[in-house]
Amino acid sequence: MRKFFLPCLFIIGICWALFNFKGLANQGTFDTIVLDFREDIPATQIQSELSEIAQKYHVAPRLNSEFSGADHLYIVRGNQELLNTLKKSEVAKYTEYIEPDYQYKAFQTPNDPDYSKQWNLRSINIERAWDDTKGSGTTVAVIDTGVSRVPDLQNTQFVPGYDFVNDREEATDDNGHGTHVAGTIAQSTNNGYGVAGIAYEAKIMPLKVLSAYGGGTVADIAEAIKFAADNGADVINMSLGGGGESAVMLEAINYAHGKGVTIIAAAGNEDENSAAYPARYPHAIGVAALDASGQKAFYSNYGAGVDIAAPGGSTREGDLGGILQNTINPETGESIFAAYQGTSMAAPHVAGVAALIKASGVQDPDDIENVLKQSALAVTDDPLNHFGAGKLDAAAAVQLATKGQITFRDFFRWLRDNGYLNPRFWIDGGAVALLPKIAMVLGSYLLAWFLRNYFPFRWNWTFGSGLIAGSSGLFFLRGFYIFDLPQWPFRVMGSSIPELGGAISGSSTLNPIFASVAIPLALVLLLLGHRQWKWLAIGTAIGAASCLAISAAISPAVWGLGAGVAARAFLAVNALLCYGLARLALKTEVEPV
Amino acid sequence: MSVTVEGTIERKSFGPGTWALVTSDNKSYEILQGAPKDLFKSGQKVRVTGEVRKDLMTLAMIGPVLEVKTFEVIQ
Repeated sequence: MRKFFLPCLFIIGICWALFNFKGLANQGTFDTIVLDFREDIPATQIQSELSEIAQKYHVAPRLNSEFSGADHLYIVRGNQELLNTLKKSEVAKYTEYIEPDYQYKAFQTPNDPDYSKQWNLRSINIERAWDDTKGSGTTVAVIDTGVSRVPDLQNTQFVPGYDFVNDREEATDDNGHGTHVAGTIAQSTNNGYGVAGIAYEAKIMPLKVLSAYGGGTVADIAEAIKFAADNGADVINMSLGGGGESAVMLEAINYAHGKGVTIIAAAGNEDENSAAYPARYPHAIGVAALDASGQKAFYSNYGAGVDIAAPGGSTREGDLGGILQNTINPETGESIFAAYQGTSMAAPHVAGVAALIKASGVQDPDDIENVLKQSALAVTDDPLNHFGAGKLDAAAAVQLATKGQITFRDFFRWLRDNGYLNPRFWIDGGAVALLPKIAMVLGSYLLAWFLRNYFPFRWNWTFGSGLIAGSSGLFFLRGFYIFDLPQWPFRVMGSSIPELGGAISGSSTLNPIFASVAIPLALVLLLLGHRQWKWLAIGTAIGAASCLAISAAISPAVWGLGAGVAARAFLAVNALLCYGLARLALKTEVEPV
Repeated sequence: MSVTVEGTIERKSFGPGTWALVTSDNKSYEILQGAPKDLFKSGQKVRVTGEVRKDLMTLAMIGPVLEVKTFEVIQ
């Protein structure tokens, strides 16, 4: 019983795995389908087919581009379901091919619908930086008006903060400024909603020190800095300023710096020659603001205390020039998307990139500051120090931070840069076509290994040759094209016995005589009496079983039977017959080991 | 430190918005919450007496924070 039960289980397992094998080609995304009509179909016929498609499937076929007319290349919007339907429909007869119009992407672009309005993120090269890190594992303290969990912060991670204004644990926002700043740092990104943030896998620590009207005391702010340092913040963002020099504040900043915290502060919005406190303190990185054209924003402070420049925007000419994030309406508390301007908006850009640098492995706050400054795009003609070390560049910063560290990402990038991760390499390069072949060889070896558990036999070269002949042939030879030589001999040598029927003509449709138990059976009957050659026959039977089973699963086109259930059933039955044949031959002719 | 400042009342777009007093030589003061309501009229020219609060920091960062005690409208 066990002898019967186990093989059944094994074959069911293999079949299940094969039927669920979808192949690499299915993993791309598409929302349009390409139809390439045959060149010999008259234009009027194409038009009538197109209007029929339009009517039947409620789609609007159109030329792929103005250059596609000659090739009769049309596209329609549609999904996998429509693709399958079209392939089976009448229209398929008139086309050279119907296939998914895969989308190729150079870099990862988030799917947040208003990402296109975030000129500021593109201007700091954020997409290339995201290839390496999104800030995972770091914590950014936002010392501000508090942070409210608006819809576009739902997927963002938070750690406990504190409300120093009302002395309570929960630090929600009643102004809108702090929530906006937190959004620039870590707005939930790739969530199909709203806008993006810079280090969107970093955690936010909300610390409320400014009241609803937007002011707060130096004492509260100094306490918040110490709280952040004591509770594991990696970066502190302070989009606030004013007052004068304060010993309490200086001490708090030095304390946090000593604990390895990177401190970022806004330079101020007075259009004055020198940054405001706290940006002026030596261990705080002072950030000036740029407008959408990359110039100093009209309000930004400059001169002493400005260490770097980042987008702060300008809403003088309208909201498009501002920095867009999700925040609250202070009047109603409702969620809104608001375009703000200010060095307040510039600082969190730098804080976000500081988190990316930290996540890339740079620990010391002085080193992080150096990476920020060295990677910034320097402005050579800057007599008034509008820009500090230059304009923030997230990609260059992360690249500099990871320099000298060989990471898994480098290997991945090498694969990508060399085209190995490009779907084109796999689909058009024909590598996908190799996978079934490899599966056939592996399958035949598995079957042989399995049979050997019950009928111990010796592996020998005739048996091995039989396995290869039956399962896959010397399949790599199929790709050989040598000038002036006919290709068919390579195709024949590159084919297994079940595939031979179509090999000479170059067709991939299986011939039902070759793709059946017939040849292995003939070989077994002929060779069973021969001590050496019978192993070739047995190997062939096992190989053919694997080849037919896999063909049944993935490309079941059989001449005269179509490519549907009938062909699948034919191939599956013959695979089982081959397996049974091999089993029978082994049972009667097994050699002592 | 009590000061008297002359200038124009303006609404500045930083964060959700802030009231400012801008002098004739373009220096801005941020008006602290709690000032008389009649003061907040954009374009109004005023003479303000009040105190500069050095212990405060703000998100607007447009200049010294002025806590207004009294004001008069000037033409």
